[in-house]
Amino acid sequence: MNIIETQNLTKIYGNFTAVSKLNLHIRKGSVYGFLGPNGAGKSTTMKMFLGLTNPTAGNFHIDGKTYPANRVSILKEIGSFIESPAFYGNLTGEENLDIIRKILGLHKSCVDEALQLVGLTEFRKRLAKKYSLGMKQRLGLAGALIGKPPILILDEPTNGLDPVGIHEIRTLIRSLPQRYDCTVLVSSHLLSEVELMADDIGILNHGRLLFEGTLDDLKKSAQAAGFPTDNLEDTFLAMIDEDNHKRGSAI
Amino acid sequence: MSLVIESKKLKRTGYLAAFLAGGFLAAAFPVVYMMVKADEVTMLSGNPIDILMSANWQIMAMLNILVSICGACMMYYAEYADNGIQKMSVLPIRQGNMFLGKFTIAALVLSAMVVIETAVLVGCGEYWFSNYRFDLAEVLKIAGFQIFVTLPTVMLMLVIASACRNMWVSLGIGVILVFTLSILPQDNAVLSLFPFASPYQMLPAAIESGRTVLFLVVCGIETALFGVAEVIYLKVQRCFE
Amino acid sequence: MSYLSLVWVELKKTRHSKIFLILLIPVIMMWVPSIINADMNFDLRGIPITPEKNFFIQGFMGMVWFMIPASLVICTVLLNQTERSNKGILKMLSLPINTAKLCLAKFTVLLVLTAAQMIMSIVAYYVCAALVTHTQNYFFILEPLYVCKNVCSIYASAIPMAAVYWMISILIQSPIFSVGIGLASIVPSVLMINTKIWFAYPMSYPFYLLMVAYGRAAEGVYETQIVWLPWLPVAIGITILALAVSCIRYGASERR
Repeated sequence: MNIIETQNLTKIYGNFTAVSKLNLHIRKGSVYGFLGPNGAGKSTTMKMFLGLTNPTAGNFHIDGKTYPANRVSILKEIGSFIESPAFYGNLTGEENLDIIRKILGLHKSCVDEALQLVGLTEFRKRLAKKYSLGMKQRLGLAGALIGKPPILILDEPTNGLDPVGIHEIRTLIRSLPQRYDCTVLVSSHLLSEVELMADDIGILNHGRLLFEGTLDDLKKSAQAAGFPTDNLEDTFLAMIDEDNHKRGSAI
Repeated sequence: MSLVIESKKLKRTGYLAAFLAGGFLAAAFPVVYMMVKADEVTMLSGNPIDILMSANWQIMAMLNILVSICGACMMYYAEYADNGIQKMSVLPIRQGNMFLGKFTIAALVLSAMVVIETAVLVGCGEYWFSNYRFDLAEVLKIAGFQIFVTLPTVMLMLVIASACRNMWVSLGIGVILVFTLSILPQDNAVLSLFPFASPYQMLPAAIESGRTVLFLVVCGIETALFGVAEVIYLKVQRCFE
Repeated sequence: MSYLSLVWVELKKTRHSKIFLILLIPVIMMWVPSIINADMNFDLRGIPITPEKNFFIQGFMGMVWFMIPASLVICTVLLNQTERSNKGILKMLSLPINTAKLCLAKFTVLLVLTAAQMIMSIVAYYVCAALVTHTQNYFFILEPLYVCKNVCSIYASAIPMAAVYWMISILIQSPIFSVGIGLASIVPSVLMINTKIWFAYPMSYPFYLLMVAYGRAAEGVYETQIVWLPWLPVAIGITILALAVSCIRYGASERR
């Protein structure tokens, strides 16, 4: 069963097409890796899922619901982390999470749990503006994970973390579907990273979906198309490169 | 609930302190005025509060407006500075409720400020005027009226602050509005109903000209209108982002 | 890096900030009531002043009392916020520039912005005076020397105030508090001007000069001579002190 589905989802800014006729299928209880180079339209798609921007054309359903009619009830189910961490600098990490907790109507213990989950417990009394980049990133993640939402939308969650942190977060994301029975949509521009976390992969370039399926599917289709398959990163690069070539010749 | 959350967000911003400081600074004017001019002023006939207000309220109201502008900017600066507002927009709350929470807080602290000011006016009346008779109902009426006529200004300023990411833009617009409406002639009935001009109106003068009800009704409508405008703005804004 | 090119760099940072619009609007707004109520200039209420000078002085009254200080306050916020909002200041402090020089360059930008507003106000005055001359059939246009002399002296007298506001904005990290203090300090200048210690209050200097101009144009309204002592040394002292404190404290919180 697909928990998120899009039909020809399109977003155009002026004369720039950020997302073009996207058809995504995200299975319930899976980790879906959303892959693409910078500016491919990953963030824009995620923003549309969160109602931060309206689609120009096409539509999508999240758990059978849609915008703008079910905005509040969709947002109740989604924990999200978009682009640069968003927080209140004048509040401590704990207070920031407490505000989110109140809005979501969760129990007080959820804050401690979320802090523990991302490893911020010892810095919880520090003002958020004094956090390091990695700590801000962790705070943002805690804000997404708090209350164990059924759907998680994470935009490049490992940006700015150290290798240990990246490994921790990856393992955490990987374990989430089993632990909390949730669906995760996670974006990245590194295939090697997505490979370690995701069940399904969607590859995006210049707003168009180049591939969607499991890792095995990717290997098979790459082989059929004559792309190198011994290293997945090379496969990815070759796919993007060929797509850029096609686009170039089309123009 | 949004009230609790919004007030939490203002922690450590010095929001309350700013309003209290503004209130005491404004309240200092009638005191200084009486210390300097007590001999002349106490000779005047009429209600001491009316005399004190007509001499000082212009400046006090202006301070109230300026502090309200700063307050509105402060509230939204906390939202925009580290992008907290983005996190809010992906949480299951209505943006309109958030705005109303902010407005309620702004209205409450403004009330506190005006109450401090009227209390000091009463204190001046008690101390310097031998003919002053304290009348709680009258004092409450004055404070209530002055708060109410300032509400459109508070609401409009919050709308402006919510629309501008850059604080100096909202601040600039606010200051320009204060300036523009303070140099316009005060006796013009239509202009005095505008936000940024209505706070200068005083209850004693309004009673005299029989415009009390007019002021209350128009200010109520203005406040509601700006509130509705903000809700519409929030809806429209989504389509353009 | 030479001082001038540093100023140029700092000016460039204000691009796309809409600051000129914010400086321009009040300049236009202050003349609107003067144009609407142009006929009031003939109703002199016994004050011995010519209508054209009355028009000029009344028009500039709001400017010197409120708009010049308020514009300065907003500009200081702009200058500091452009640095702080995206941590630009950290980059600047890590470049091989003397911080005091950087601080003074920014102050110069503040003065340039104010100068721009002054020029705009002169242009606005002439446009409005021409307009009123047309509508009222009376020659309202004053000679350029008189207008420029007055505006320039007002501008010069605003420099100590600018230095004080600049110092406040550097000492007080929270932008809104520095603005709040700045705006609140404007209000009492009407009262200060009538006290004996007006010279200790930089926010009232431009107002004082315009009042003297008023006194010269209309006998008996105000003093006709500028009281240079102890004003001048006090003003210079305040300016130097404020700038010295600014230069010492500039970027201090970022370098902690």
